[in-house]
Amino acid sequence: MKWLWTSIRAILIVSLIVISGCSSSTTNSKSSGTLKVTATTGMIADLVQHVGGKHVQVTALMGPGVDPHLYKASQGDIEKLDQAHVAFYNGLHLEGKMTDIFTKMARSKPVIPVADGIDKKKIIETKDGQYDPHIWFDVKLWIQAAGQVKKGLIEVDPQHKNDYEAQATAYIKQLEELDQYARTQLSSIPKEQRVLVTAHDAFSYFGRAYDLEVVGLQGINTSSEYGLKDVQRMVNLLTERKIKAVFVESSVPKRSIEAVIAGAKSKNHQVSIGGELFSDAMGEKGTPEGTYIGMVHHNVDTIVKALK
Amino acid sequence: MTDYWIILTGALVASACGFLGCFLILRKMAMLGDAISHAVLPGIVLAFLFSGSRDAVPMLIGAAIFGLLTTIIIQTLRGQGVQSDAAMSVTFTALFSIGIILVSLFTRQVDLDLDCVLYGEIAYVPWDPLKLGGMDLGPRAVWLIGAAFFISLVVITLFYKQFKLCAFDPALAAAIGIPVTFFHYLLMGLVSLTTVASFESVGAILVVAMLIVPAATAYLLTDRLSVMLGLSIGMGTTSSLVGYWIAKLLDASIAGCMSVTAGVLFLLAFLFSPKHGVITRWWIR
Repeated sequence: MKWLWTSIRAILIVSLIVISGCSSSTTNSKSSGTLKVTATTGMIADLVQHVGGKHVQVTALMGPGVDPHLYKASQGDIEKLDQAHVAFYNGLHLEGKMTDIFTKMARSKPVIPVADGIDKKKIIETKDGQYDPHIWFDVKLWIQAAGQVKKGLIEVDPQHKNDYEAQATAYIKQLEELDQYARTQLSSIPKEQRVLVTAHDAFSYFGRAYDLEVVGLQGINTSSEYGLKDVQRMVNLLTERKIKAVFVESSVPKRSIEAVIAGAKSKNHQVSIGGELFSDAMGEKGTPEGTYIGMVHHNVDTIVKALK
Repeated sequence: MTDYWIILTGALVASACGFLGCFLILRKMAMLGDAISHAVLPGIVLAFLFSGSRDAVPMLIGAAIFGLLTTIIIQTLRGQGVQSDAAMSVTFTALFSIGIILVSLFTRQVDLDLDCVLYGEIAYVPWDPLKLGGMDLGPRAVWLIGAAFFISLVVITLFYKQFKLCAFDPALAAAIGIPVTFFHYLLMGLVSLTTVASFESVGAILVVAMLIVPAATAYLLTDRLSVMLGLSIGMGTTSSLVGYWIAKLLDASIAGCMSVTAGVLFLLAFLFSPKHGVITRWWIR
C-alpha cells in the first residue's frame, strides 16, 4: 500500500506549494473612498447605483439576458464577492442554491436581501408554501426595496447618510411616476382583453399590481417541462376570449409559446407574438431597456400596443 | 486563501472520484456518475414534499437515499443478466422520469430542480465554512468530500486484493470463495456516497468528468492497477490545479475549466502514451 501513502503525500505537498503561492490576503479596507457593492441581478445593481450615486461602485454578477434560476458562476465572481464591502441579493430563493451561500457570507460581511425590506403581507405565497421571488414587477414593491437598499448603504457607510437619503428620495419619486404611468397605460386596455399570456409565470406581481389576468404556460420554474394539457388549455383560452397576442421573454426559449400559436391557428384564431418582454433580466447596458425604469416602460408599452 | 480552498476542493473531488473511477472503468460502468446525477431527482422532490423546505440537509438526505437506490437497482439488474450499459440507462431514465412526473404533479409552483437545490458551485465553496465552537475549520465541502474520500481509501485498502480480483476476473473470484456480489454492492455504495457528497458541494459536471476522465487517462498509461490508482489521483489533482488557473485567466466557469483540463490530459495520453498512444505506436512502426 506504499503507493497510496505516497500519492496522499504528493497531494499534501502540492497543496502546500499552492498555499504559499497565493497567501496574499485580500485587503478589505475602504481606502479609495467609494464603496464597492456587488449585486446579483441587473435590476438590483441598477437600484443600488441610483441610491448610492457617486459613492458606490456597483458590479452585477448576472449580466443582461441571464436567467437567475440557471445562472452559472465564473471565476471572476469570487473576486467580485471577495472585494465587495457590501453585497445585495434578491432573496426569496431567486438565486437558488446561492441563497445559502449569502446567508453564510452574512456572518463575515454585510450581505442584504432586498426582499427583506418588503412588507411580508405583500409577498405572494404559492400553494406549496413557497414565495414568489419576482418582486420587481410591482413598482410599488420595488420602492420598498429601494428603502431597504438605502438602509443597507447607510449602515455600511454612515458618513454619506444625507446623500443616500436624498438620492433615494429622488429615485423613489421617479419610481412613483413610473408606477402611475404603468397604471394609466394598462387601464386603457378593455378589461375583457386584459390578459397577459407568457411562457413562464414571473408576472404574478405585475398582474396583481396593474389588474391584469396572468396566464403562464409553464410553472414558476424555467426548467420544468410543460405538459400537453397546458398547451391545450392555453389554446382554448386564446380562442374563447379572443386574445390577440401572447408574449415571449428575453430569458425563456420561444418554443413553448410557438406551439400554442400553432395550436390556435388550427382552430382558426390568429394570435400574434406581442413582442419581447423582459422578465428575469434587463436589456443590454447602454440601451433604454438596460435600466429598471426603461425595462418597465418597455414591458408596459409592448403589452399595451399588442393587446389594445 | 479562497484560491487555495477551491483548488483543494477540486483536487479532493478529483482524487475521490478518480480513485473509484478506476474500478468503474475496469467494470465498464464509467457512466454511473452521470446516471446517479439524474436519478436523484425523485429523492429531491420527495425530500421537499416531506420536509416542506429547500434546505441543504433534507435535499442531501433525499439525494443520498436515491443515489444508493440507483446503484442497488443497477447492480441487481446486472446480477440478473442485463447488460451493464442497459441496466444503467434503464434505471436512471426511469428514476429521472419519475422525478419529472412528481414535479409536474405536486410541485409545479416551486422552483425545484437539481441545479437549483442540490448542485453546488465550486466557486462558492470558501464561503461555506464548517464552524465548531466558534472556530473556523475551513470549507464544509472540504470536510464532506474529504470524509468520503477517506472512507473509500480505507475500505479499498482493507479489501484491496478482493476488489482487484472482482474487477478483473469475477468468475475466478467467485470460484475461490470471495463474496463477489457483496463487493460489487460495496463499490457501488462508495460511488453513490462520494458522488452525492460531491454534487452537493461542486455540482454535477465536475463529478461526472472526474469519475471517468482521470481513470481513463491512467488506464492508457499503465497496465498495473496500483499504478493506475495513483496516476488517476495525480491526473485529477493536476486538472484541478491547472484548470483553476485557466479559469482565472479566462474568467470562466471553474468546474468547466477543470473538466476540460482533464480532457486535454486524456488527449495527450491518448496520443503519446508510451505503450498505447496513437502517435507513439505509429512512430515505433
